[in-house]
Amino acid sequence: MSVALTDIRACLEGAIPGVMATCASDGTPNVAYLSQVFYVDERHVALSFQFFNKTRQNILVNPQATLLVLDPVTAAFFRLQIRYLRTESEGALFESMKAQLAGIASYAGMAGVFQLRGSDVYEVQAIEPLDGSPLPAPPARGGHLAAVRRGSERLARCGTLDELLNTTLATLSDALDIPHAMVLMMDAASQRLYTVASAGYPASGVGSEIALGQGVIGVAARERTPVRIGHFTSAALYSHAVRRSVQADTPSLALATDIPYPGLAEPHSQLATPILSQGRLLGVLFVESPLDLRFSFEDEDALVALAGHLGAAVDLLQSAPDTAEAPGETAKAPPRPPGLAAAPLQLRRFASNDSVFVNDAYLIKGVAGAILWKLLTDHVQQGRTEFTNRELRLDPSIRLPDVSDNLEARLLLLQRRLAEHGPDLRLERPGRGRLRLQVARPVVLQTVSG
Amino acid sequence: MSAPPPPPLLAPEHVELIARGVSTIVASHDLAHRPSLMRALGSTITPDGRQVTVFLSRRQSRQLLSDISSTGHLAVVFSEPASHRTVQVKSRRPRLRAAQPDDAPALARYRQAMTHELSLVGFAPAFAQAMLAGALEDLVAVSFEPDEAYDQTPGPKAGRALGGDGGTA
Repeated sequence: MSVALTDIRACLEGAIPGVMATCASDGTPNVAYLSQVFYVDERHVALSFQFFNKTRQNILVNPQATLLVLDPVTAAFFRLQIRYLRTESEGALFESMKAQLAGIASYAGMAGVFQLRGSDVYEVQAIEPLDGSPLPAPPARGGHLAAVRRGSERLARCGTLDELLNTTLATLSDALDIPHAMVLMMDAASQRLYTVASAGYPASGVGSEIALGQGVIGVAARERTPVRIGHFTSAALYSHAVRRSVQADTPSLALATDIPYPGLAEPHSQLATPILSQGRLLGVLFVESPLDLRFSFEDEDALVALAGHLGAAVDLLQSAPDTAEAPGETAKAPPRPPGLAAAPLQLRRFASNDSVFVNDAYLIKGVAGAILWKLLTDHVQQGRTEFTNRELRLDPSIRLPDVSDNLEARLLLLQRRLAEHGPDLRLERPGRGRLRLQVARPVVLQTVSG
Repeated sequence: MSAPPPPPLLAPEHVELIARGVSTIVASHDLAHRPSLMRALGSTITPDGRQVTVFLSRRQSRQLLSDISSTGHLAVVFSEPASHRTVQVKSRRPRLRAAQPDDAPALARYRQAMTHELSLVGFAPAFAQAMLAGALEDLVAVSFEPDEAYDQTPGPKAGRALGGDGGTA
């Protein structure tokens, strides 16, 4: 019977750790328990290098090693002949293993003891299934491929970013039984990710931000690699808990512009997948669970596939030409005229970071804040309610980046923040490339410079 | 008058750990220094810690048994799954024999102990039984006196030589 590494991926994830034998230069054997056997690809595994121990000394003089792993369901044994190739101490593989090890260490009561110095990459030369009396294998689930297919079919019918994100979250919940999820988009200028959609939380957290490199989400984005943790980790590096970073330029505002991160306070499983298209990072698809070991390698495969479809679809939307014509006079009349008796909304904009406050409550900042201000200013000065994507792209006050401006994501963020904030301001999308601002009360605009 | 034998390498706490019946992994190597290894299906230790016996399945351990016979080199790790307490012993003087009917009680005790140990980390008895299944006539007993012993519990003392005055593993 020939066994491929892909056939025994479940053995690399079991709670019973793998063991490895190496030999010293005189042949003296040594056995080591492994914290992690990480699947790299069809022909390679990586083991965590944590200590300068006998195993370390041995593989540097004799790269030949033997690995014994066990199926966590059937108890079938597999023995692997492996050969040490190299150690990586930075990059995608290293960061994925480091995050995973942090969860393993916390679970094993070894936080502070287990520390990843490097990812030792081994070539798998042979896999030997051992005779034994294994338990019967459970029937193949096969649910992941069907779930990916369902998601793919549904995504292919979506015509807007709003629909794409809702469909992705619905697919995770309906087809993969993953109710806690969020999508974050990348803002290249600030090197931060902002939440544009979420499911399964008391508050949506739309608009909340995570810095590149912060937490499982930030590491997945920075390294452009999936990061999967199977246990709760106390390591602060992998926490997304809100850290109220003070912005030096507007210290008085910094706290007020935080939107709380919506996620679970103590996730026991986390999986973050980068959303990529044409080699560029668009954002991160993130799922989590209160259960240990909730996400398997099959879940990871499914999420990577869905994130790939989502990335391509988002990119296609963003790069579609702005087809809408300039709005005519007929489209100008606001459907809901401001009530005469209503007290005006006081809107303040802080020019330093384009943050906008409504009656002293924080609404939005950054590019989306600048867009809102342009719409409101034109509304107040010219009575306009209809706008186009094209004019936003051309407006120098909005300062959209030239390439991959993510305009659709920023408009969706603005739309959702307005809807969550209150009943008086709405942004609608009457057609491709078109926007409609709904203002239910008179507004008073004030800009604070500096 | 001959010199008294040296004190045993293993302290009572290590003997107790091994005697209780914990996870046991055995390794050797061939003449080209390629390592071989397998999980033992049983282990025993004498109360003074000088005589260790591990039981290997022939059908699972052909290379390993051949390597032990040809090189005489042996390393065995004992580890308690729930606590990660780990000891490694090495020997160059192992003796091999077929398992006998009078080994059966020790093997049964070991399976029972391991079934309990694995239940503490979340595995059902059926899993432990499958993992440690092996007919007596398929088993080989490998007995040896430890020449070297190391504490390998993860942490600052990992690799510390026991009963001696130096060296790491």
